[in-house]
Amino acid sequence: MAELKLLLKYRDVPGIENIDVWESCGGYEGLKKALTMERSAVIDEMKISAVRGRGGAGFPAWIKWSGVLKHTDAPHYLICNGDEGEPGTFKDRELMLKLAHQLVEGMIIAAYATNTDKGYVYIRGEFVEPAKSVRKAIDQAYAKGYLGRGILGREDFNFDLYIHMGAGSYECGEETALMSSLMGERGQPRLKFPHGALPVDAGVWDSPTLINNVETYSCAPHILRNGGAWYASMGTERSKGTKIISVSGHVKKPGNYEIELGTPLMEVLDLAGGVIGGKLKAIIPGGSSVPILPAEKCVGVNMDYESCQAAGTMLGSGGFMVFNEKTDIVILMRRTAEFYAHESCGKCTPCREGTRWMFKILDRIVSGSGQPSDIDLLLNVCDQIDGRSYCPLGDAAAWPIRAGIKNFREEFEYWITHKKSPIGGDCVPPVPYRINPALIPLS
Amino acid sequence: MDNENSNSITPETGERTSCKSEGRFSPNAIAELDEIITHYPNKKAAMLPALWIAQREYGGYLTREAIREVARLLGRPKAEVEGVATFYSMYNFKPKGKHHLEVCTCLTCGCVGAYGVVHKLEEMLGIHLGETTSDGEFTLSEVECLDWCEAGTVIQVGNKYFGHVTKDNVEMVLEQLRESDDHTSPSLADDIVKILLPKGEPKSKVE
Amino acid sequence: MPDIEWVYIKINGIALKVPKGEMIIESAKRIGVEIPFFCYHPRLSMKEGGANCRMCLVEVASRMPDGSLRKMPKPQTSCSLPAAEGMEIETDTEALNADRRGVLEFLLINHPLDCPICDRGGECPLQNNTMHYGPPTTRFIEEKRHFPKAYPLSQYVVFDRERCIHCARCTRFTRDISGDEELNFLWRGADMEVATFDHTEYNSRFSGNVIELCPVGALLSRPYRFKARPWDLQSAKSICTQCSNGCNIKLDYRLDRIHRVNARLNEDVNEEWTCDKGKFGMDYISDESRLKTPMIRRNGELSPASWEEVLYLIASELKNAEGEVAGVGGAYSSNEDIYVFQKFMRETLRSKHIDHRMGPNFQSYNSGLLKRFGCPAMGNPIAELEDMKSTLIFGSNFVDEQPILYLRVRKGWRFKRNKVVEAAPQGLISEEIRHVTQFAEVSLNYKNGTELPLAQGLLAALFEDKGRPLGEQKLLSHLSGKNVAQCASETGVDEKDIRKAAELLATDKMCIFAGEYVTHSPDATAILEVLGDIAVLTGNAGNLNVPVSRNNEQGAMELGILPDMLPGYVEEQNPGMNTEEILSACVKEDLKALWVMNTDLVKEYHNSDLANSAMDACPFVVVTALAITDTAAKANVVLPVHSVAEKWGTFTNVERRVQAFCKAFEISPDIHAEWKVFSDLSSMLGSPMTYADGKDILNEIVKSVPTFAKCGPNTLGDEGVILNPVAGGKE
Ligand SMILES: Cc1cc2nc3c(=O)[nH]c(=O)nc-3n(C[C@H](O)[C@H](O)[C@H](O)COP(=O)(O)O)c2cc1C
Ligand code: SF4
Ligand code: FES
Repeated sequence: MAELKLLLKYRDVPGIENIDVWESCGGYEGLKKALTMERSAVIDEMKISAVRGRGGAGFPAWIKWSGVLKHTDAPHYLICNGDEGEPGTFKDRELMLKLAHQLVEGMIIAAYATNTDKGYVYIRGEFVEPAKSVRKAIDQAYAKGYLGRGILGREDFNFDLYIHMGAGSYECGEETALMSSLMGERGQPRLKFPHGALPVDAGVWDSPTLINNVETYSCAPHILRNGGAWYASMGTERSKGTKIISVSGHVKKPGNYEIELGTPLMEVLDLAGGVIGGKLKAIIPGGSSVPILPAEKCVGVNMDYESCQAAGTMLGSGGFMVFNEKTDIVILMRRTAEFYAHESCGKCTPCREGTRWMFKILDRIVSGSGQPSDIDLLLNVCDQIDGRSYCPLGDAAAWPIRAGIKNFREEFEYWITHKKSPIGGDCVPPVPYRINPALIPLS
Repeated sequence: MDNENSNSITPETGERTSCKSEGRFSPNAIAELDEIITHYPNKKAAMLPALWIAQREYGGYLTREAIREVARLLGRPKAEVEGVATFYSMYNFKPKGKHHLEVCTCLTCGCVGAYGVVHKLEEMLGIHLGETTSDGEFTLSEVECLDWCEAGTVIQVGNKYFGHVTKDNVEMVLEQLRESDDHTSPSLADDIVKILLPKGEPKSKVE
Repeated sequence: MPDIEWVYIKINGIALKVPKGEMIIESAKRIGVEIPFFCYHPRLSMKEGGANCRMCLVEVASRMPDGSLRKMPKPQTSCSLPAAEGMEIETDTEALNADRRGVLEFLLINHPLDCPICDRGGECPLQNNTMHYGPPTTRFIEEKRHFPKAYPLSQYVVFDRERCIHCARCTRFTRDISGDEELNFLWRGADMEVATFDHTEYNSRFSGNVIELCPVGALLSRPYRFKARPWDLQSAKSICTQCSNGCNIKLDYRLDRIHRVNARLNEDVNEEWTCDKGKFGMDYISDESRLKTPMIRRNGELSPASWEEVLYLIASELKNAEGEVAGVGGAYSSNEDIYVFQKFMRETLRSKHIDHRMGPNFQSYNSGLLKRFGCPAMGNPIAELEDMKSTLIFGSNFVDEQPILYLRVRKGWRFKRNKVVEAAPQGLISEEIRHVTQFAEVSLNYKNGTELPLAQGLLAALFEDKGRPLGEQKLLSHLSGKNVAQCASETGVDEKDIRKAAELLATDKMCIFAGEYVTHSPDATAILEVLGDIAVLTGNAGNLNVPVSRNNEQGAMELGILPDMLPGYVEEQNPGMNTEEILSACVKEDLKALWVMNTDLVKEYHNSDLANSAMDACPFVVVTALAITDTAAKANVVLPVHSVAEKWGTFTNVERRVQAFCKAFEISPDIHAEWKVFSDLSSMLGSPMTYADGKDILNEIVKSVPTFAKCGPNTLGDEGVILNPVAGGKE
């Protein structure tokens, strides 16, 4: 198993952002094929492919699709989660920037399969360039009759696709918060099952809603074109197909690498040219929210949902961050905590108060005022957040810190006793944290 | 910050008073908003787009008039609009420098030298994070992951990303910006509004 | 009532049956299991903004489709967890106690420990829960969040942001209940704060409720601030006197001073809300200006006198007047006062000239609504309003005229998707004021004074719609031959809107409200006829509501302070004079004495010139009052009488509900109950009245007035009782 290009196959074809070039590479074939099938047959194909959500949670896509199709009355909505905000992940960025037609085609297939006539691509506000590509792809698809009324002559299939731009909030990647944001509200999460309805039953505007990640939709054209069984022939027993891994950090060739699920973690590292600047210290394999793996635990782990879980971490969104031996884990954890404290939506107590507190403790440690009790306190705060917050952002804030302490406890202790970095001179101390500058004018 | 003694102060938000007192959207902005509203089942959903238009119309930041105008056009309570706007980090409530340097210091950028870039910029511009140079050219901020980690350190300036920045080449970024009138907050907002509209402009374009 | 589906669940091993979908936090209450909480409130929406404090966590095992029981890996918030068949819940495990400690520790890291100087101290949910479940010490050594201490949000509410725990009760209240949507959160994460737009004044008619809702001392009452500690206060069950809606309240007092007013739960009336007029308007009771002794005019000046002296004087003057005496007022007195007053006038003084109405219309009660529908005021009980599929608010500044009815109608719209049609004169609806217009499906914005043609337009639209059964000729006659288009042009309302409104009204469970723009119109009778036709035509006869607006105005009507009606709407064969006629008679010096019953006549009467000249011309004017009003200042004798806090009594509210209020304290032995004044005088004048107390009088009313038959002092309870229908029936 090694690099296997499927979604990224045409990434480097010149002009691939244009519809003609995309069509010459077999683009929109999947859609045309889907339109010859029953809606439910399209979903069956997705079921056979066993493709799982690529946004982080790995939920089988077909179950959501059929959940929406089973509603026959209310309007349905289709949403693409292009809010990619997970530190270390940049696959959706590239998929939208270069292969926007692949995404648009995937969404049209999903719209057909779920009998939906309105869709939104929710793109994070910072992604101006990728969003411009999606805009261009949508405009071209309209011009060619892939979008709009009576698509490809099918009187019973209309689909309008809009872009909705975010405005700077990681939490809006969480699907219920995304729905709030799409509806013009603060990007705070909404009640989930069993407390509230599932999005497929009552999502945005209380209507059945399908929400999938950019990469998930992008798989659909290939599955339709080549068949679900073909897709399922790749990957492992329970993790089928390919996954794009965004490799960054201390590696020679950072970038997006598409691999067959189940590829050994160390092979991914090799694909990216290996560690630079020293020996490997740790890898975060699935974005900032997943537990960090120290170098010695990386061997033997495969990049699939099950193997990662068995190793005590997660495949997540595939944000693969590599750290060499000159990395100060305490400073890294401080920055992770700062991220979650800054991005917590503030709705629920544990996440709002706990993330900020964790950050304050870690910030104190790296400014030389750590206390021996701080390590247990941090672990305790993690426990008090994990599983108690309104949405998984709280959990995602607790896991990495807990794993950081568990795997690198002696570095925390070093900081606390010696008031300096165990790594030594090279380590640049972080700039002081500043609260929301907009608050300062209050006198 | 800590003002403990007095017990009847109304918080001051002085800096948010606007320059454009009787603020209204331009006819073109109204046409844009009208069209965007048709993308959704109700007007409220056009909140984020409307705030983007406002950010452009009011010179790169949301004045209280801007909030009022959005509330009026969408028929929503003003407090709600303000609540939504302040939730998102990309809406500004104070004027920013012409070029807003937003340095990603998040995990990977942080590990490959972003803090060095920030310190270098602070030194070169003579300001701290969150501040604006006295000539109004630059504002310096730190931001969360911009999700282009392969190119760390990444700096966003308005609608443009600079990748592979190091403390040694950051001077080039400044030079490039000093010569340009693009990549400002309003140009970012304008780009976003264009992205929201099919073919980049409202069907009923007002000249 | 739809059938309730019941499910069987277990809480802490105890099996119980609860309605499917009931929140577990409520189910637990059924068996006396308390689950701590902050943000939960059964009247605030769960979906948008609830379940945020995470205090109410419980452990849940749910029944799988195959019958097995599976424990959910994470604790769940019981405030948002709907009961489902077979669920098993634990509320009291070691792990949960740790969770609660954790939540409290988090809440306290930024909450200042200034309980000793906080008004909420002693009745603070955060304080109580911390004592019960909280950690003994804090591990937080960093700087707490700081804000400038309290700042005023409005005339009534002061806000201490440091204390806020972000439960979103206040913000949800303004969206779910009061509808002004003035409060919202700013920023996010730990920087989040509650605020009004741009920190401008919190503009609401219901702002006081957030003080009671806030589970900490963040939102506080400005008038009450630093005035008392809750454990020093006594509390009396009372009824608000500021309008006709009859909110149930608690008067919290110390000695003879009212310190604050809180709502008292009554599901049928105010639920648990009050409006600001009531919550902050009751301090007149212990105001310095209260009159504490009778006053007599000597040498042109009012000067103190003894009760003996004044009663002797009044008795002799009234004897001289021999029937040429009249009485006005009564809308602010208790049912007992009113009953005794009219009995005193009719039986002791043999005068039929009594009226409580202040104009401008004085239709005979013998016609109009009473005759047609058997009720001259509200046809629907308040609680029923939330189930009306559509409601027409016609010619009313509803939120100000009927604050509590407004909340009910809005509740029906917000939580039951009911429709509201508004018809309001052009000046009333503005962009800035968020009231009915904000949620009305259709707003008919008519030219001032065109209520009649607008009502006709709606009726015509209903007629023209072929689908409706055609009414009788009589209904048609009220149209004066007009069609929708003509009405539209007369009123300046779009014809399409009139038709759309009529469409919404054509349903069962529709009700109509006519407000002051109708009752004060010269066309009042005709407009009400047409609105009545609309009710009849849509199959909602009786659902026409013309609510009164003053405190016990309804009681004054029911108990016959009317020239043409005896108590219980028994027709008077030879009617006496109405207010207007009484005042004109005074001016013409046709009357020898006038009794003004606890009413500031010169202020309230619609024509103040007439009222003033009447007061000047009448040779002997007695005024009962709480303080020297403009009217009292012109009287010959002023008698100090009890306020609602100083006696037991009853009021009849706008929906004809009789509710009791209790005595809190006495201000002075020289202040008397109003009924006592009449009964003492009556005895002096040779017709002894021997009432021991208010309950005695109510018992007599129950016996002699059939509509009051169910309203005995012992049957009223805490919720009050609605009067029997008026004999004669409805159309
Ligand atoms: C805090 C948080 C942030 C998330 N951010 C993203 C994101 O940026 N992009 C994304 O696709 N999914 C994100 N998710 C996952 C989504 O909630 C959701 O599972 C996903 O969009 C579903 O699509 P999928 O089934 O195709 O993976 C996030 C989840 C959480 C809890
Ligand atoms: S002010 Fe009070 S009611 Fe409002 S959110 Fe804060 S704690 Fe809750
Ligand atoms: S009461 Fe349930 S989360 Fe607050």
